[in-house]
Amino acid sequence: MSLLELNKVKKIYQQGKIEVPALRGVDLEVEEGEFTTIFGPSGSGKTTLLNMIGCLDTPTEGEVSLSGKKVSDLSKKALAMVRRFNIGFVFQAYNLIPVLTAYENVEFAIRLTDHSSESQMKEKVLKMLAEVGLKGLESRRPNELSGGEKQRVAIARALVKEPKIVLADEPTANLDSKTAADVVDIMRKMNKELGTTFIFSTHDPAVMKHASRFINLKDGMIFSDERGK
Amino acid sequence: MFSIKLGLKNLTRQKRRNFITILVIAFAFFVFLFLDSLMEGMEEMSFNNIKNYDTGSIQVAHPAYWEDKDKLSLENLIYLNQDIEESIKNMDGILGVSPELRFKANLNNGIDEIAVQGMGISIEQYNEVFATQNHVVEGSMFVPGESKAVIGVSLAELMDLKVNDYITLLVRTKEDTFNTIDLEIAGLLYTPNPMINNGIVFVPLGIARQALNVENGISMMAVKIKKEKEINPTINNINQIIQEKNMNINAYSWRESAKTVIAMSTAQDAETAVILTIILTIGMIGIINNVILSSLERTREIGMMKALGMREWEIVLVFMVEATGIGILGGLAGCLLGAAGVGWIVKYGYDLGYVGGDMSMYGIPIIDKIYGVWDFSSFVFIFFFGIVVALFSSIAPAYWAAHKEPVKAIYHR
Repeated sequence: MSLLELNKVKKIYQQGKIEVPALRGVDLEVEEGEFTTIFGPSGSGKTTLLNMIGCLDTPTEGEVSLSGKKVSDLSKKALAMVRRFNIGFVFQAYNLIPVLTAYENVEFAIRLTDHSSESQMKEKVLKMLAEVGLKGLESRRPNELSGGEKQRVAIARALVKEPKIVLADEPTANLDSKTAADVVDIMRKMNKELGTTFIFSTHDPAVMKHASRFINLKDGMIFSDERGK
Repeated sequence: MFSIKLGLKNLTRQKRRNFITILVIAFAFFVFLFLDSLMEGMEEMSFNNIKNYDTGSIQVAHPAYWEDKDKLSLENLIYLNQDIEESIKNMDGILGVSPELRFKANLNNGIDEIAVQGMGISIEQYNEVFATQNHVVEGSMFVPGESKAVIGVSLAELMDLKVNDYITLLVRTKEDTFNTIDLEIAGLLYTPNPMINNGIVFVPLGIARQALNVENGISMMAVKIKKEKEINPTINNINQIIQEKNMNINAYSWRESAKTVIAMSTAQDAETAVILTIILTIGMIGIINNVILSSLERTREIGMMKALGMREWEIVLVFMVEATGIGILGGLAGCLLGAAGVGWIVKYGYDLGYVGGDMSMYGIPIIDKIYGVWDFSSFVFIFFFGIVVALFSSIAPAYWAAHKEPVKAIYHR
């Protein structure tokens, strides 16, 4: 059984009287531990596809299943619970809370799912921040961190609750090439160490090359799906 | 709970906007506390001025006279013998009794004439019940056996009269024939109750009785008691004594003579409700505006929270905590400002000189200054009221913010 299955997923947006198809019947299976990139031109449906996988949006037609459980028909509340316990997100704009420190931003995510003791929780958060190379920067607020450091906090926040899958929509788009490579390296490292499945979208070939699977989207359909080394 | 921690931390964002909202709430609270203190002070002063200079705590009168007491009729007077008067005076908690004969008169200074209220009093008994003697500004109160009168300074100025001048009171006797009372002015009064200063002429009771031909009749008897809270049992006890003597007279609380002021007090309650409504609206607008602007600025953040799997009520809680924090800070600042304002009005008072100096024309027996009073229950009430308003007014906009579709919120569509 695959970790993730999409079966003939279609998404049509209504813009006034005009119907705009974003996905035109996507079939996809993702196995546990894969490090997958989705690429393609603007408007090809990358973000829409990630939203379907991340249970942020529901398909107009077709099915999405996570760990064999159909999630595309769930209520909003149930989808929130699926996201809470199974999915981590990394956003292009980091989306950190500016009044919280790096430690608190990560703590925020774990408190939603983990009810272990304060000391255990603290240990997990500090360990995760150290894993992404932010040891010693725990008490800094987002405005005191560089773009790369902010994205590392976001990665730590996504991973700390030990989700089945981490989705990253253009995680390196706001970073210079050196920092972007560092961030992808960290994602790859966590993928190998923790076995967490990563799916990320990108335009950047330099970032893309780190992936083990390459899905090319075109006009809302999978144009090619290749596995690398 | 992390939502509460985040809500509290969010108070440090948008400091200027939060500060302005807190300031607006604080100002609204200050206005309420200040006006509430002033209104309560006005009520307290009015009641004291009525009790101390006009009615005493209790008035004993014939029910028919009481019905139309403002007509100052000489019908339905009461005739108390020494025995009844002593029985009432010797009751527990009674400080004094003062028989009064109130009558209509025209005051003539030899040139002009003005309608006044004559008041026949037994000076020694009157001084046991009322504080008027402490406000003689020129001359003195008349003493027993003297054929003199005392009038207010305002009346004296109006009629161009001084101490030792002679006045003539034109009166009608019980039989409706004309009579006059000629008296020398013994003293001029300036009491805190402008009604006394403006239109009353105090004359010895014996002289008034003789001129009006009412034998030993009086309009009413004013009674002063030790403790205000004992007023109802004392009225019952007086009525019991009167019933035992088979007399058709009754004891009445001073409150029944203070209907204008009590009506004012009721109007004050309505005014307080209006002020509260305005404050409620100001507070609500401030809080709603704050929550809406915050949620618009934090749309992506809300999207992130939803992506992390936060439930709507958890996001609502973040905004509610923030709004309640603003309510608490605004309430505290308002109470501090209010305490400063109330402290000032209690100490220095509001000078009525700005509005003519005399509120008797509105039926309120206050002159010169109104002082505020401390009412700590108002502080407690408005503080908690502010918190509740902040809490409830944040629910709808917070729910609106939390109800956004996660995709629309994340990508700020």
